[in-house]
Amino acid sequence: MVLGNYKSVVAARSTDNEILKGAQDGGIVTQLFAYALEEGIIDGAIVAGPSDEPWKPEPVIATSKAELLAARGTRYTLSPNISLLKEATRSYGLDRIGIVGTPCQMQAVRKAQLYPIGMRDVPDKIALAVGIFCMENFPYQGLEAMVEDHCNVKLESVKKLDIGKGKFWAYTERGAVAQIPLKVTHKYEQPGCHVCLDYVSNLADVSTGSVGAPDGWSTVFVRTKNGENAWSKAIGAGCFETKPIEEVKPGLDLVKKLATDKITKNQKTLDERATFGVGKGLRNPYL
Amino acid sequence: MSKVVEISPTTRHEGHTKLVLKINDEGIVERGDWLSLTPVRGIEKLAVGKSMHQVPKIASRVCGICPIAHTLAATEAMEASVGCYVPEDAMLLRYILQCANRLHSHALHNILSLPDMYLPGTDTKINPFTPEEPVRSVALRIQKLREVGQTVGEIVGGEAIHPSNPRVGGMYKNITPRAREKIYDLAKEALPLARDHMEFMISVFKNFQNRDTVEVGGMEVPVPDTFGFHNQGYMATAPVYGSSSLDDDPTWFPERWTEVRPWDWYMGETEIDYDEPNYPIGGTTPAGNKAWPQMEACMGVPLYDGQPVEVGPRARMVQYRNFDLKGAMGLQIARQMEYMDCIYGMMEAADALNTSGKVLADEIPQGDGTLGWAANEAPRGSDVHLVKVKDGRVRWYSLLVPTTWNFPTCSRALEGAPWQLAEVIVRAYDPCVSCATHMLVVNEDKRIVAQKLIE
Ligand SMILES: Cc1cc2nc3c(=O)[nH]c(=O)nc-3n(C[C@H](O)[C@H](O)[C@H](O)COP(=O)(O)OP(=O)(O)OC[C@H]3O[C@@H](n4cnc5c(N)ncnc54)[C@H](O)[C@@H]3O)c2cc1C
Ligand code: SF4
Repeated sequence: MVLGNYKSVVAARSTDNEILKGAQDGGIVTQLFAYALEEGIIDGAIVAGPSDEPWKPEPVIATSKAELLAARGTRYTLSPNISLLKEATRSYGLDRIGIVGTPCQMQAVRKAQLYPIGMRDVPDKIALAVGIFCMENFPYQGLEAMVEDHCNVKLESVKKLDIGKGKFWAYTERGAVAQIPLKVTHKYEQPGCHVCLDYVSNLADVSTGSVGAPDGWSTVFVRTKNGENAWSKAIGAGCFETKPIEEVKPGLDLVKKLATDKITKNQKTLDERATFGVGKGLRNPYL
Repeated sequence: MSKVVEISPTTRHEGHTKLVLKINDEGIVERGDWLSLTPVRGIEKLAVGKSMHQVPKIASRVCGICPIAHTLAATEAMEASVGCYVPEDAMLLRYILQCANRLHSHALHNILSLPDMYLPGTDTKINPFTPEEPVRSVALRIQKLREVGQTVGEIVGGEAIHPSNPRVGGMYKNITPRAREKIYDLAKEALPLARDHMEFMISVFKNFQNRDTVEVGGMEVPVPDTFGFHNQGYMATAPVYGSSSLDDDPTWFPERWTEVRPWDWYMGETEIDYDEPNYPIGGTTPAGNKAWPQMEACMGVPLYDGQPVEVGPRARMVQYRNFDLKGAMGLQIARQMEYMDCIYGMMEAADALNTSGKVLADEIPQGDGTLGWAANEAPRGSDVHLVKVKDGRVRWYSLLVPTTWNFPTCSRALEGAPWQLAEVIVRAYDPCVSCATHMLVVNEDKRIVAQKLIE
């Protein structure tokens, strides 16, 4: 169950070179939203758009392919996408919302649908929730320290950031590559991530990440009826190239291993909270 | 020999009130006291010292049916006090919000009024919850109109109940072209429904007034020709929106307003010596109980030119449209006639709106303690907020809400009606009693006389 419920899982990438150029992995998120927008499955998508500061995302409501393209790539810092969830149904006038986010953000979306506290008119307007895999996240200052101090690279000059093969990587516009071991980054993780028990966005309609698939490709779980509907239509329209997950390396076994590691480690943190103090503990949101 | 009967609580309106009625041998009201029993919440008092940005959000919570009125009146009173002029596109958004709220509120009130009424040409009373036609279609139409009102309110106001978008200086956000189109589509969908509905409701109210008798709890009760008539004046500040002390030609005048205590206006202690166990549902207050309106009334009695006045849809129609129907049903009919204004109003304002225009004033002064006021024509009438803001904080605050104006006027309108129909008159005013339960009472010299109540 560490991978959640799903109907199918494949390795995939977009067939649109323009999307692939700036995408983090297989351009799944950007391609799926672009298709859904075109088909009217959604009428806007909440994505992590660019802001005034380099690599600091700002949630935006994209209603065009150009806006989706501008939001490509992973920003390893918080992007409070849910902050636009209600507003999307208000001044933006959306009826069918697409939203991308980390597993915790997918949880927020589902919770708002089932327990809409101050979330009037949100529950029935979520049309496509695309989750990304997430091991942990960093506050912006943490990211700054990792890139500028440890990798010794100016954030402004970074073209892509990535976590993979046990390392944190920064690629610059001018072609330099810097990397640091992940153990250096641990102290910069946001503490809230240490009680997170979801790696592959179990609650999304479709979830995707890099782990399991070769470079330039993504691992994709199709989870819900809603997700399957959008995904199969997009496949039919030729949006994606796919391969059975069994035929790619490293494949699902690695995804499962990493998911198990995350959950085991964080469950332990959670358990320790119960006896954190002398004769009293810290709150457990899962109880 | 007159007797006293009491209906407590009254039903099918917002809030908590009762009727203490002195009646003659025929059961006709000689003197009626309609009073609020809703506990005082003291918004005016607790606003003092808080920021001008927070107080309108608190004032909104006075009422969940017309929160738009309190939000806008409070925000605009702050703006009037500090002298802040709001950009035009912000005003257009507020105007749309106003129309949307009135649409929903009037439609909601239909549900409350219909059970007193008959299907025209029959002796069948209307139960809005019946699955049978033609009432079922009427109920669905009402729900649709409310849905349109609330959805449009949500788009421009950020929230249908307690709008989040208005702020001192304008609005937090303009809307997108898509949102504007959605408003337009919803309004166009509602337009024919509203027209049919208005005509249906007017025929229902006319039919009531034309009946010789109606049935209440098994009693046949005559409907007088002058049912719900009164000789008080009217007060309205605009056909749709309102006015404020920033206007070149304001349409409300603070110097004409005074307020008296319930003590000066309501009956003293009296014993209930008539009861009717068949009055639906649960009977009237048993004989032998005591009532003391002077002491029990939880509100002040505001006067305009020294008199109680009527506010609301008819007051607006009388002042701006030469409307001349009197009585309880005249008031109901005037309300239905406002449906079309709501819908055309939101369409026209949406047309005029520039969705990329700015919606926040460049400068928001912090205020020097000048008195500012704003009147918003709430669904139930003029909602006037008065405030003094200094250094961004509220120093003094007072609300004169529609139902407060209407309490004494409606009380007079009860005279001459069979007591069993007193509630039908009350409902014609669409009372909103949590709105009306207000907190500072000032006398002719504007001195606070009933502050003790809330300390
Ligand atoms: C903090 C974080 C940790 C991650 N950890 C892992 C991991 O351990 N293993 C793994 O396989 N994958 C991880 N990913 C996911 C991976 O990096 C890619 O985001 C994912 O594969 C999608 O790539 P794509 O080419 O399909 O998307 P693209 O087409 O490039 O689009 C990426 C989308 O993600 C959105 N986005 C970017 N940053 C954020 C953010 N901070 N918060 C919310 N949304 C954002 C963008 O708006 C864009 O729409 C992580 C992502 C994040 C943000
Ligand atoms: S690790 Fe969990 S809590 Fe932290 S960002 Fe990722 S999904 Fe959210």
